[in-house]
Amino acid sequence: MTYIVFILSVIFVVSFVGFSSKPSPIYGGLVLIISGAIGCGIVLCFGGSFLGLMVFLIYLGGMLVVFGYTTAMATEQYPEVWVSNKAVLGAFIVGLLSELLTACYILKGDDVEVEVVLKFNGAGDWVIYDTGDSGFFSEEAMGIAALYSYGTWLVIVTGWSLFIGVLVIMEVTRGN
Amino acid sequence: MSVVYINIFLAFTLSFMGLLIYRSHLMSSLLCLEGMMLSLFIMMTVTILANHFTLASMTPIILLVFAACEAALGLSLLVMISSTYGTDYVQNLNLLQC
Repeated sequence: MTYIVFILSVIFVVSFVGFSSKPSPIYGGLVLIISGAIGCGIVLCFGGSFLGLMVFLIYLGGMLVVFGYTTAMATEQYPEVWVSNKAVLGAFIVGLLSELLTACYILKGDDVEVEVVLKFNGAGDWVIYDTGDSGFFSEEAMGIAALYSYGTWLVIVTGWSLFIGVLVIMEVTRGN
Repeated sequence: MSVVYINIFLAFTLSFMGLLIYRSHLMSSLLCLEGMMLSLFIMMTVTILANHFTLASMTPIILLVFAACEAALGLSLLVMISSTYGTDYVQNLNLLQC
């Protein structure tokens, strides 16, 4: 149970390989939904319940639904599955092998230390450093609630950029 | 820094490679872009939660807002390509020949 975050992150990478090997977009969208759910699980393991809800509601329920019906609009008669095309299958196996090698290297020793640009070690994996008393409130929910007090300018900028985005999309899809 | 970051960074790199290497559909590249945004969201959230960086908890939501903007823009371009050429194959995008 202490390794649950690591197992979830391995399944996360495997599902990323599933859509990065580029089968037909409808299957890629399906695997992206699964990887969104696994990512929500990783966030929940660290105690971020509101941000996990964000992933499901906004990311899966908003953005991927739009991708789903756009894909349904522009799809082909015989969509490609991972086993029906050698290129897709080869890419999937290569990705799977690289993830397996990484996972085996990480799990090999108890005190493994990987240094790529930063120093990763397995010591802080299942322990979140506790900074003391946070009362009855969830810190993360309080931080997000600060969006409306400290982050007022952020809200104005993002709202304005969404509005401009809608206008840009209307101009792009006007055609002629 | 915990070893979960290695896996999430590997996921980002894989979808980045998937974005850069085209096959037939433009839509699969847009899906890889969405995957990159998801892995960035997860990495940012895990960092903020593990370090108790409370005030920065709003930044994953802001990242999601801008990712939604960019996804909508990419989809509108895909819709225009699909309405001009009938399909969204990248081999149709051959007007610029160097």
